[in-house]
Amino acid sequence: MTADAGQGSGRGEPDPQEHADEPVGHLQRGQFVAETSRPVPRAALSTRAIAGLWALRVFVVLVSLMVIYTFIDQLR
Amino acid sequence: MTRIPPSPPARGPAPDPPLTGEDAARSRDRARVHHARWHGRRWQLLWLLAGPGILVMMGENDGPSMIAYASDGAQYGLGFFVPLIPVLFALAYVCQEMCMRVGAVTHRGYGGLVLQRYGRAWGWFGAGDLILTNLVTLVAEFVSIRVGLAYFHLGAGVAVALGLALVVFTLSGGRYWRWERIVLGLALFNGLFLLAAILVRPHPGAVVSSLDFLPFPGGSVDTLLLLLASTVGATVTPWMIFFQQSASADKGMTAGDVRHGRYDTAAGAVLAAVFGIGALIAGAALLTHGGSGIEGFAGAGFPEALKHVAGSAAGAVFALGLIEAGAVAILTICASTAYAAGECAGVSRSFNSSPRNAAVFYAANLGVALLAAVVILIPGAPLLSIALNANVLATVLLPVSLVFMVMLANDTALMGQWVNKRSTNVIGITVIVFVGVSGAAYGIVSFLQVVHLINS
Repeated sequence: MTADAGQGSGRGEPDPQEHADEPVGHLQRGQFVAETSRPVPRAALSTRAIAGLWALRVFVVLVSLMVIYTFIDQLR
Repeated sequence: MTRIPPSPPARGPAPDPPLTGEDAARSRDRARVHHARWHGRRWQLLWLLAGPGILVMMGENDGPSMIAYASDGAQYGLGFFVPLIPVLFALAYVCQEMCMRVGAVTHRGYGGLVLQRYGRAWGWFGAGDLILTNLVTLVAEFVSIRVGLAYFHLGAGVAVALGLALVVFTLSGGRYWRWERIVLGLALFNGLFLLAAILVRPHPGAVVSSLDFLPFPGGSVDTLLLLLASTVGATVTPWMIFFQQSASADKGMTAGDVRHGRYDTAAGAVLAAVFGIGALIAGAALLTHGGSGIEGFAGAGFPEALKHVAGSAAGAVFALGLIEAGAVAILTICASTAYAAGECAGVSRSFNSSPRNAAVFYAANLGVALLAAVVILIPGAPLLSIALNANVLATVLLPVSLVFMVMLANDTALMGQWVNKRSTNVIGITVIVFVGVSGAAYGIVSFLQVVHLINS
């Protein structure tokens, strides 16, 4: 999926004209639709990170509601 | 954290995965990149790899943003804002470079990665934020086109038809490359704001002397906070994050293209800052006239006001600029919505796919434009308020998207050697705090005033 960094590009590879008639000769494996459709593993977040993310989410929702309330009030 | 194993190159020992038309189209684009690189054709390589970075920055120089810059100039003059705009775009560069890098290294879009890596709740929250802000912003973009067309005595129906026709036309090719080049061609006309600045004949000394961040704009606290929040919202928004990462992946960029992706993003940031300052200078021509015409969304307000102060050429150029700014933003914002919809639904999401194979992608792209278009045709709809609040809402919702962006860019399992440097993290976190504080301060102060807990 990743870290195929730099592979298939630059002067270290064969002349691209060699494969001009091959439809997928210039893609890295991670670029194929079949590969990008494969889900990446879930990251393990610490409890503190999850709590921080939820706190930020709740805060953002509250402030958004305030902005929307103010917006509606301005319409009156 | 488990290290995700690297994928071997396509021509390696493992059998090739099943092919799609999307793979074949992307491979053809990559063949030209490889050919240019192999033969050492630097300018051709730059041309081939330019795109998402310039588009995202030009898309952000949209109608509401240009009106915001011009209003700043009309109300406060050049001081403070001339140096502030480049600073904000420098911050935008840091955020967008991360998006480009993650997209190029992982070959995946932002929405899909957040959903898979951190859970469905966070993915759908992000998509929800995006759809809300995109809808509001798209309405503002159609209004911007309508304002520009009103200068030429054309109505809202023409604005809707023009916007929708552009979306349909750009979607009709079935190739990312075609879509990108058409939108890039349109985006060049963002330079009209620079032309408008030249036509108002500013005093060069006044521009140079404004570089010291002085005078700091006066006014009430909530006005200043609104000014700050909307100016920040005119520079970095959630759709930019979704768009650039997904577009970089759709374009077929790889880790080997990151250097050129940085050039592309930096060029976009510089152009956007220059054109934004152009709008500011054009707006400042109204300063000595009491900021007349700053109610820019009423009829052809701003271009008409400019016409009376600086001549019909300046007014016409500014009006054309607003049409361009709205049109490019409609195309890029619709694309970001479509990418997010496809990624969250787990279905095909590429301009290189046909409408039959990527129905959700194409439907979301066109559907969100249609929805916004319907709103501006509603008689008596509060378009002025929607347009003015679009940037503020984007600023308020932005911190969550930015936090996940920084997390993805620091994810060693995904990014390998391409993770953020310490300095990038410091700047990224500073941007998150800056955006969060300015958006939240406006939201809280204005709410407390509305409910009469503090005086305005």
